[in-house]
Amino acid sequence: MAVISVEIRDFHIEYPDRLLFDSVNLSVADDELVAIHSQVLDGGTSFLKGVAGLLNGVAGEVLFEGFNLLKSPPASLYFKLGYVYEDHGLLSIYNIRQNICLPLQFHTTMNAADILDAVEQVCDLLGISRDLLAMRTHELNDVQTRMINLARALVTRPTLLLIDELEGGMSEAYLSSTMLHLREHQREHPMAIITTTSSEVILAQADRIYKIENHDLVAESREDLG
Amino acid sequence: MANEALALSARNDESEPDHMRVPDASASGDATQRHLVWTLIEYIGRKPADITRGLMDIIGLISVALAASIDILEPQRRKIFFSLFIRQLYNTGVKALYINGAIAIFIGGLLMSRLFEYVPRQVLSTQYSYLFVVIIFRELGPLISGIILIARSATAITSEIGYLRMTREFQVLRGLGINPVFMFLLPVFFAFPISLFLMFVYFNFVCLLSAYVFILFSDPSLNFLEFLVNILNQISLNEIAINSVKAILGGMMIGVVSIHYGARATSSFDDISTAISSSTTVQLMIFFLLNVVLSLLAYTQ
Repeated sequence: MAVISVEIRDFHIEYPDRLLFDSVNLSVADDELVAIHSQVLDGGTSFLKGVAGLLNGVAGEVLFEGFNLLKSPPASLYFKLGYVYEDHGLLSIYNIRQNICLPLQFHTTMNAADILDAVEQVCDLLGISRDLLAMRTHELNDVQTRMINLARALVTRPTLLLIDELEGGMSEAYLSSTMLHLREHQREHPMAIITTTSSEVILAQADRIYKIENHDLVAESREDLG
Repeated sequence: MANEALALSARNDESEPDHMRVPDASASGDATQRHLVWTLIEYIGRKPADITRGLMDIIGLISVALAASIDILEPQRRKIFFSLFIRQLYNTGVKALYINGAIAIFIGGLLMSRLFEYVPRQVLSTQYSYLFVVIIFRELGPLISGIILIARSATAITSEIGYLRMTREFQVLRGLGINPVFMFLLPVFFAFPISLFLMFVYFNFVCLLSAYVFILFSDPSLNFLEFLVNILNQISLNEIAINSVKAILGGMMIGVVSIHYGARATSSFDDISTAISSSTTVQLMIFFLLNVVLSLLAYTQ
């Protein structure tokens, strides 16, 4: 039975020159994929970063695992929260393998062999070539960088996954297969997924679709998408 | 088009800070004078505030570094820290060996071997060894090693931290529940003092060897053991302690200032070059001041 994984209440983001979100409320269960149908510069990235507690000055509540992510939650809580950045998002001092291993090394007492097993499993799930693991971050293209971001997010088995525009530069077939694998993984390891996207492929996989309108998230039906 | 370009450049000039602007010659004398006085008052008022803010930031960084060092007590995190610490120590302390050694050879060969010519052999054990310790061990070794650390490694750290800020890697770490201070500041905080101490040791040792080799050209009868023992006999525990304090405080300050300025870069490569320039100026001032003050306190009779 699905349980509510994250509950967003009275969410408010305002920059000195622009109000982005005001009184947004949203709950996502651990078997759901919620898509925010975003346009260029409409605040989708700020929404995800705000929910993850990565922005300062965000008002409201983001209740996750019994804590409010906006009120200095314990660092260990981030082990259960995966974030996939649209660009960059990897640590340039490390190679790809070390980037994926890092959350497990830092937050768990797993031994090196188990950590490597976990990394290989998640790479197999997402079809990431093992050859990439020894490479440096600057050697990857944008799509590979985002896939490694996704692998690092999934390796900790998060209960909330936030994905910022996964699709850029990906072929429809590759994106479709990645989304199918992701939903399969979600069935085995329940997690709420919130993603910003403008891709029909991802929107087709979503359980609920919202658009950003009047500083709020407004439900959008598939018919609205045309 | 040319006029538009000129107009644009004129508008850009207006965005310069007041103290950078050349007074308008056509303005009345009184207005210009009033403007200059206000600019001066503003500058005098702003500077101490900037310095105080910078000092408080640096003290804050030292305190968060000490707080983050608690994570080292956990075995898994200690491994992560240790790999970053070794990388930093290698880049800062070990790779500086050749440049530190090369400068020590020049100083030893050109300065200390010449000085030997002026000291009668009979007073070698007292005069020359004393001068060697006073000039090289107490002052030149620490100063030159510090300058090398600032020029070679501190600028690299400022630039690296600036780049990490620009690519939002601090935010990435926060999103992973990892304190960026633990990953980026702590290894520098511990590696810089140790590297600086190692650099003092190389410098003194290479300088001593180089001085001996050059002296041999003019006095082949000089025994190395006698030369070495005479100099070592002049080094007291007090001098070793003062040099250690110079290494610990100097290395720590250089590292923290690098990170402080690097972390101020936010959006463009210009920010990084400004950060490198400002941090190098501050580091040189702090390091020279620290050396002079410690030497005065320790060696003034």
